[in-house]
Amino acid sequence: MLMQLSIAGISQGAIYALIALSLTVIYRSTTIVSFGHGDFVMAGAFLAYILVIGLGFAFLPAGLLAIAAMFAIGIVFSRGLIRPIRGGPHIGLALMSISFGFALRGIARLVWGREVLPMPRVFDVDPIFVGSIIITGDAIFTIGIVAVLLAAFFILLHLTDIGKMVQAVYQSERGARLIGIDVSRFHDFSWGTGAALGAVGGVLIAPVSFLHPDLGASFLIKGFAAMTLGGFGSLGGSVIGGLLLGLAEQYAGAYLNTALIDITAYLLIILVLLIRPRGLFGRKVVIKV
Amino acid sequence: MHTPAESRTAPRWIFWLLPILALAIPLATNPYTQFIINAMLIYTLVTLGFSVVIGNLGQLAFANTAFFGIGAYASAMAGNALGLPWLLTVPLAGLAGAAGGFLASAAALRGIRLYYLAIVTLAFGELMRWFYTHAGALTGGTDGLALDRGDIFGLQLNSDTVQFYIFLLLTTLLVAGTVNLLRSRLGRAIVAVRENEIATASLGIATSRIIVTAFVWSGFVVGIAGAMFALHTGRVFPESFGLTQLIINFAMVLVGGLGSVIGAVLGAVALTALPEYVRAFPGMEEIFFGVIVMVVLLVMPKGLASLLRRVSPIFHETHHRD
Repeated sequence: MLMQLSIAGISQGAIYALIALSLTVIYRSTTIVSFGHGDFVMAGAFLAYILVIGLGFAFLPAGLLAIAAMFAIGIVFSRGLIRPIRGGPHIGLALMSISFGFALRGIARLVWGREVLPMPRVFDVDPIFVGSIIITGDAIFTIGIVAVLLAAFFILLHLTDIGKMVQAVYQSERGARLIGIDVSRFHDFSWGTGAALGAVGGVLIAPVSFLHPDLGASFLIKGFAAMTLGGFGSLGGSVIGGLLLGLAEQYAGAYLNTALIDITAYLLIILVLLIRPRGLFGRKVVIKV
Repeated sequence: MHTPAESRTAPRWIFWLLPILALAIPLATNPYTQFIINAMLIYTLVTLGFSVVIGNLGQLAFANTAFFGIGAYASAMAGNALGLPWLLTVPLAGLAGAAGGFLASAAALRGIRLYYLAIVTLAFGELMRWFYTHAGALTGGTDGLALDRGDIFGLQLNSDTVQFYIFLLLTTLLVAGTVNLLRSRLGRAIVAVRENEIATASLGIATSRIIVTAFVWSGFVVGIAGAMFALHTGRVFPESFGLTQLIINFAMVLVGGLGSVIGAVLGAVALTALPEYVRAFPGMEEIFFGVIVMVVLLVMPKGLASLLRRVSPIFHETHHRD
């Protein structure tokens, strides 16, 4: 029972980890929290859906195209909407991302109406039995893809010049500018990457859940919870936070009450911020007067 | 002291003409337009309360819809469970909203600011919505809670005209109260916290007390708006207090002008009236509010109030530099 729950938790947590990671990528490089991120996830899922169901693409090219499209949308958003108000108050930046996401959701609703759309299963392979534990094809694929992506991402950040650039801008934007980094373009690129990573999450959930324009909101909160638990700005922390959240949801649902699955993330956010605001691996954030 | 700013804002009594002139509105309306105008009064308070926290105090707190919902449910629950007439539930709703404000300020006082505060207050709002949905007998679950509107001194409360006069009175009082609060020493301290909290504290001002006061006042105003909303719609649902409500509130604050009382009125009036035309298609409302916020942020970050300030100095609200 515990093992079975843990596998479900990790499979779900892998998606949360991905979304938390995509939020962290944007936060670390631009110090902006992408409040419209849930809708990037939704848009990724919807684009994949249109390509598969509407245009008859196979799942893999459809997914890749959807992710590329979201990368472009992220860049356009950063370039056209964030850059002009970049120096302004945080509230404006937060609102810009909220309202952009809101408009995306409206577009999805305008096109699809109020239906809930199921997509045919993609990873339709027989589940594997390990002793008494059942591991579904979906779980294997989700965990596998996320693991590969995370590995690629960490190699990129820790072993390449791009990683050094990220670190430079994070430490001092001005310093990064002085040594010749085009910070504005770097920001655009980060938004693109964040949106694309969020879209990966959307593409992965598309075949295993029902699609509706509001699906982003809950993933946004879960991404936040994972980020908060892991520590804001910590890439590794966001991944671990995502996995822990996935597990916590499953355990709370099975051992306490199924209604708790929905609010595990909220409770976690409130508890972590009240007890240990920096999370597990974050830097100190508290402002004290 | 007679500062230039003081003389610019001298004929403030002119603003009292607005509610007096508004008394004549029901003469010129049909039930539908009266319904919309009543909603404008409610949203004026919602916007005003929100603006105090995000505009004047400058905190990224998203708990406004929570205060609104708490007020609405407090009113409906007190009416249903305790059998109180609606009018008596109004102060209860205000107090319940103020308690919500106090809770939200507790997070801010823990040193949680900026995005952390935004996230924790967002979670607070969603948690409240989960509570409305799951507290079955108490809140009616997803079906919501119907209101027995009753009467007040023999006047039927389900009449839009009667509602209008009550709402006008409440809104006028709370707007005037907020103006006075913001013009007081306390109000300037609220803005000082926004500008530089550490510097404010160094002047010997207890910043934590200022933050609590602003949140509690915001919760009180929005909580009362919640009671008005419950009466206005006759039934409260969990879905009325979700993320869509939040972005509508945001849009109103922003379109009017962050931290401006005149702006709160303008934003609420403009954005309550307009979307009536875009509700025909699912999704249009969301696109409308999303695009409006983006456009305002890009081209008019200080909102409609800033246009008015250009027209006449009497619209200047502050005694400090913006």
